[in-house]
Amino acid sequence: MNQLVGVFRGPWAIAVYTYREGIRKRTLIGFLILSLLVIFGSSFISAFLDPTSRTDIELKLIKDICVATISIFGALITVFTSASVVPNEVENKVIYSILSKPIRRWQYLLGKFLGAQLIILVNLALMGILFFAALYIRQGVMPTLLLWALLLTYFEFLILSAFTFAISTAATSPVLPTIGGLFVYITGNLTEYLKDVQNRAGQTGKWLDDLLGQIAGILYDVLPNLQNFSLRNQIVNGMPNDPPTDVLIPNLMAYGLIWAVGGFLLAWLIFWRKEL
Amino acid sequence: MSRKQKSPEGNGKNGVVPAIRTFNLTKVYEGARASQDVRALTDLNLEVQPGEIYGYLGPNGSGKTTTIKMILGLIFPTSGHVEVFGDGDIGSARVKKRIGYLPEGAYYPDFLRGEEILKYYGRLYGLGGKELDRRVSAVMDQVGISHARKRLLRSYSKGMRQRIGLAQALISDPDILILDEPTTGLDPIARKEIRDILAGLRDAGKTLLISSHELLEVELICDRVGILFEGVLQRQGTLAELLETRDLQVEVDGWKPELAGQLPPKGITLEDAVGGRARLRMPSGTGAEAAVALCRELKLNVASIMPRRETLEELFVRVVKSAKEESLAAAAPAGEDTR
Repeated sequence: MNQLVGVFRGPWAIAVYTYREGIRKRTLIGFLILSLLVIFGSSFISAFLDPTSRTDIELKLIKDICVATISIFGALITVFTSASVVPNEVENKVIYSILSKPIRRWQYLLGKFLGAQLIILVNLALMGILFFAALYIRQGVMPTLLLWALLLTYFEFLILSAFTFAISTAATSPVLPTIGGLFVYITGNLTEYLKDVQNRAGQTGKWLDDLLGQIAGILYDVLPNLQNFSLRNQIVNGMPNDPPTDVLIPNLMAYGLIWAVGGFLLAWLIFWRKEL
Repeated sequence: MSRKQKSPEGNGKNGVVPAIRTFNLTKVYEGARASQDVRALTDLNLEVQPGEIYGYLGPNGSGKTTTIKMILGLIFPTSGHVEVFGDGDIGSARVKKRIGYLPEGAYYPDFLRGEEILKYYGRLYGLGGKELDRRVSAVMDQVGISHARKRLLRSYSKGMRQRIGLAQALISDPDILILDEPTTGLDPIARKEIRDILAGLRDAGKTLLISSHELLEVELICDRVGILFEGVLQRQGTLAELLETRDLQVEVDGWKPELAGQLPPKGITLEDAVGGRARLRMPSGTGAEAAVALCRELKLNVASIMPRRETLEELFVRVVKSAKEESLAAAAPAGEDTR
């Protein structure tokens, strides 16, 4: 048991350090402040609406803005964090003084990955708390559905983070993994559309049409389906304390974990013999 | 013998296992095509003895950092291998625990306090609790920054940051310290202080490998040096072995300015003259008796005779220049063939 604790002591120290350093990054602070302002500001949306309009439209609008804000800014924070935690340490040479200590490369990666997760979780929690409070004040009902939505959103970000992190271990700067992460986020949220493109391809008989269909098919097979994690419609249209419907939360969590483990293993495969 | 096995005791000089030993260490950075390959190190046989300060010298791009990175397991040899105290399992926790490393120009986060950054590095060695506190206090005392342990790193001067770097390398009380440019960019006082710390570490039995461009610093502190050029170790030995005694410096009384014209035919150089006293440099290879005889011929009284030893800088320039000439000579016929 002591040996096991010893193995994880190093990664945990790295994770805490990564978190403490990450929450001070100006870009992330900027994203967080902006997102909190949008969530907070959405409560005053009524000032821009027709006073005769029904309050449920106003509420739907608030919910819609808040869900979109959490989703977009959360994804940006996830991508920027996961893309930079390793390349930044290579750039400023901190990695040399860490990997010259009795830390295995997988332990280092685990520490950085966990640190990135702490940053993502804290940011998500802050946005979620404000949204939660806004809904509770407006409706006077505990918005428990939002908690489920936040949980699923985190698992969506976990997949995104693992993919971006894997790309970052091969890169020398955060630029390429940031682009890669944003690509995964956008295409991962368009997987149904990709399927549609694949199904429709071949109808014109043109080679470009076929090619696009094949590319869409490959992306559909390779990329995770991030649309599954969204409870947006239910949050916007349903009651705040409804149980989540049409989703199997344990399955989605397992799905997210499998993709995350896969992304982490890919990162390790790239990094374990990387010349630093 | 497997590289991961420990070498039998006594495989080094005088039966002592070297602290660091490389065996025909070669590193080629592969390019996209074979013609773009860069040979950074060729058949390096480096030997650093326990308890000594070894100065690892070479111009930029000569392969010093490549060597250090291979000793630390940050990059991997194309061929050859490294042993640390006879242990070839480079990259293992066992070997890493015996080495402390100060990278050149490393960044330390401004938002942490001096003791916090050291605690972080200490935890990477598995230290914790009172043992960690004890080690942090000990290394801060050792490098002279105990008074600033609670201060944020952003308030540290450059010299203090370098000491923090040194402290993080010492946190586990390692047997070997590898320091990459430990005094670069520091003012003379900070350099002297760092030099004193390093000398203290040697006295405490540590082995130090110092990669540096500061030749005066190296000459003042190192027991042995190795000079690397284009990935090849050109010279390795103690300063006494490597530095040539070039000529004699003689201080004379009875100097007159009109004697200046008589010096060049005898191969004597006038270095300095004040009033009736002058300092002369005798021709290369002149013995003490011959120097006295030459002075008598000029009717000068010898006040003192000092052998003038080559400086490390002169040795470095001589070695690098000769290696460069050899390299150019070797490349010339090949260049003609390709035309």
